[in-house]
Amino acid sequence: MLADLVQNTLDGLAAGASYALLAVGFTLIFGVLRRVNLSYGPAIMLGCYAATWVHLNFQAGLLVLALTVVLFSILAGAYVERLCFAPHQDAAWAPSPASRQGSAIAAMVASFALWMQIEEVAMLALPKHLYAFPSLYDGGPLVFGPFTLRVEALVMIAAALAVCALLWRVLYRTRFGLAVRAVIDSAPAAQLAGINVPRVLMQVFALASAIGGLAGYLIAASHEQVTPMLGMWSTLKGLLAMMIGGLGSLPGAIAGGIALGLVEAHSQWFLGPQARDLIAYLLLFVLLAWRPRWMTTRSAS
Amino acid sequence: MSETLLEAKDLITAYGKIEALKGVSLTVRRGSITCLLGPNGAGKTTLMMTIAGILRARSGSVTFAGSNISSLWPHDIVAAGIALVPENRLVFPSMTVLDNLHAGAYQRRDAEVESDIEKLLQRFPRLKERSGQNAGTLSGGEQQMLAVARALMSRPKLLLMDEPSLGLAPLVVEEIFRIVAELHRDGTSIFLVEQNAHMALKVAHHFYLMEQGKISFSGDPGSLAEDEVIRRAYLGSAT
Repeated sequence: MLADLVQNTLDGLAAGASYALLAVGFTLIFGVLRRVNLSYGPAIMLGCYAATWVHLNFQAGLLVLALTVVLFSILAGAYVERLCFAPHQDAAWAPSPASRQGSAIAAMVASFALWMQIEEVAMLALPKHLYAFPSLYDGGPLVFGPFTLRVEALVMIAAALAVCALLWRVLYRTRFGLAVRAVIDSAPAAQLAGINVPRVLMQVFALASAIGGLAGYLIAASHEQVTPMLGMWSTLKGLLAMMIGGLGSLPGAIAGGIALGLVEAHSQWFLGPQARDLIAYLLLFVLLAWRPRWMTTRSAS
Repeated sequence: MSETLLEAKDLITAYGKIEALKGVSLTVRRGSITCLLGPNGAGKTTLMMTIAGILRARSGSVTFAGSNISSLWPHDIVAAGIALVPENRLVFPSMTVLDNLHAGAYQRRDAEVESDIEKLLQRFPRLKERSGQNAGTLSGGEQQMLAVARALMSRPKLLLMDEPSLGLAPLVVEEIFRIVAELHRDGTSIFLVEQNAHMALKVAHHFYLMEQGKISFSGDPGSLAEDEVIRRAYLGSAT
């Protein structure tokens, strides 16, 4: 019983680390734009498909595949930003709440349309439903007494820690980070301070897509497969983790991702695979109904 | 008189179909304090936002130090030497006072940023005490000081101030106007929007009266029946 608890916690931490990475990218975009980008996951999926294509045709090494995922996630992210979000930027700070809301909905619906488009492109390029994706490590899992831990899980946790540390340094120790925090805090004030807000938004989009792409690569390598569902999966997990952590806060996104991973792992073990998502959404429902204090904070400090 | 620093010509700015500025022309002279008075809804804030590039004029032009800035982006206008202290202050609430000041110097890459921050903290001792605190925890008056200090960090040639005394206690208002006079003495030109006409006319060299999107009157303080100007500034012309 206790051994199960510990093993599930280990598995949950690994899954949670991947959700945390997805949520951090999602939160960066939400933080600067106050908009939900439904195409966030599909852009990552496209990156994984590009890497799969490269793998099938050229048998490239792991590093090349990882870079391909990140590069194509950034390209797809930039495409989404230009088409869905850049045209509605001015309205995001319009004086009337009605026009702000209207443009937020327009941007979200547009990002849904691009989701469909990106999925079609991926399926046209690689029409089978499922493709194998090369794993990171071919040996067996690490064994500690009664417990096992996959090497992929260890890499995932290490990557999540490294990304968080690096992101913190960028946000709090660089000029670019100062601009990002200023835009998150108040975009109109950032404009008045002389910050080129549209450019910061584009850079944040690229950064978030790169983090999402890294997460996508590690997830695909750990699942050892890609399907077109990876897009929806990434958007849902990222969104769920971001909401559990209280929209717009980066530490919250990390905590939300890990909480989601732990809840999923334990409920899958104790209540069965069908209960896994049920419990995760129940958790979100309870949190939204209860609205604890951390869920009402909106800054990304 | 001295040369023109800022010139607005026939500015028309609209929100959808509603014109908030209906052809505004005015000038701000270098080294002066120019004041814009007028009742609520006259379009004063719209004019400030148009000069700062946040709002786009539908027609007309803004010329600053001899070059047309009407089509520039807001950050380029800051680089050109105009800084706006916006209505309701608009500081960065979850950033520290120091980071707020650093953000104000975002366009600058010279080595004197840190020494400028030091000088401003000397000028605003209350900010110095709170330099590590988040700006959102400051009082209204302190936030106003911070908004002014942040604008000064870009080393502007022209400082635009939109209702700096709004919602502040009388003692704080006096302090703000003392600072305005000091900044002017140090060589900054100032274009000030004020509801508090009595205070504004005490420091201004020149004023404009704006009503319903148009400049209806301009003059120098003391040149005309001030009571009439003040009455119209608060109430609009009751004709």
